[in-house]
Amino acid sequence: MAKDANEILAWVADIFESPVEKIRSETKREDIEAWDSLGIMTLMARLDEDFQVLLTDEEIQQMNSVADILDLLRKHGKLVDG
Amino acid sequence: MRFLFVDRILELEPGKSIKAEYHISGDQDFFRDHFPGFPVVPGVLLTEMMAQAAGKCLDAEGKDKGKGKAMLAQIRSASFREWVRPGATALITAEIRTSQAQYATAVCSIKVNGAKVCTADLLFSFLPLGEFAPGYRDEVLESFLASRQSGGG
Repeated sequence: MAKDANEILAWVADIFESPVEKIRSETKREDIEAWDSLGIMTLMARLDEDFQVLLTDEEIQQMNSVADILDLLRKHGKLVDG
Repeated sequence: MRFLFVDRILELEPGKSIKAEYHISGDQDFFRDHFPGFPVVPGVLLTEMMAQAAGKCLDAEGKDKGKGKAMLAQIRSASFREWVRPGATALITAEIRTSQAQYATAVCSIKVNGAKVCTADLLFSFLPLGEFAPGYRDEVLESFLASRQSGGG
């Protein structure tokens, strides 16, 4: 089921164990401490489990911001812009 | 002290599910400190039992796919509902929720005498077998697979 942007931001905050107010569309990968190798694996697993989106290593390495995550989910029809 | 917390595999569907058991004899060294007069299995060791069982389930699949050995990467959640005391036999169950080339997740539980004593949601990564000492083998898993091949398991 598709979610709105606020729900996805909260989902991203949960994955990276970050306060939700610190996660914005423009937040960069380097500004999220837990977006490290474990964070990448966690993100891949949660995309798979929660949205049935499977990524290659190359695709996941190209993600550099929360906006990239939002774009990915939008592309897969999992994010609806309200 | 060995760090083996699965005695025997009871059922195995590689990459999908496993049932295994571990007997808590009371001789384990950690009971000297955890706790004098009130010995209980530490929650971290219950989690390790579940991780080892789920890992064997993934390794059984990975053997054929060249995936490497499953290594616990994250305890996503864990709950401990009952004390586990000396003399108990832990029935460990793990269901693999997703298993990809880079990661796998498993939902696990332990029952003692039919009562669920703990649950955990675990994330695994995979380490190439070449990283381990030459000749490294999982005796518990190999013993189960051998018994199944000979029709005994």
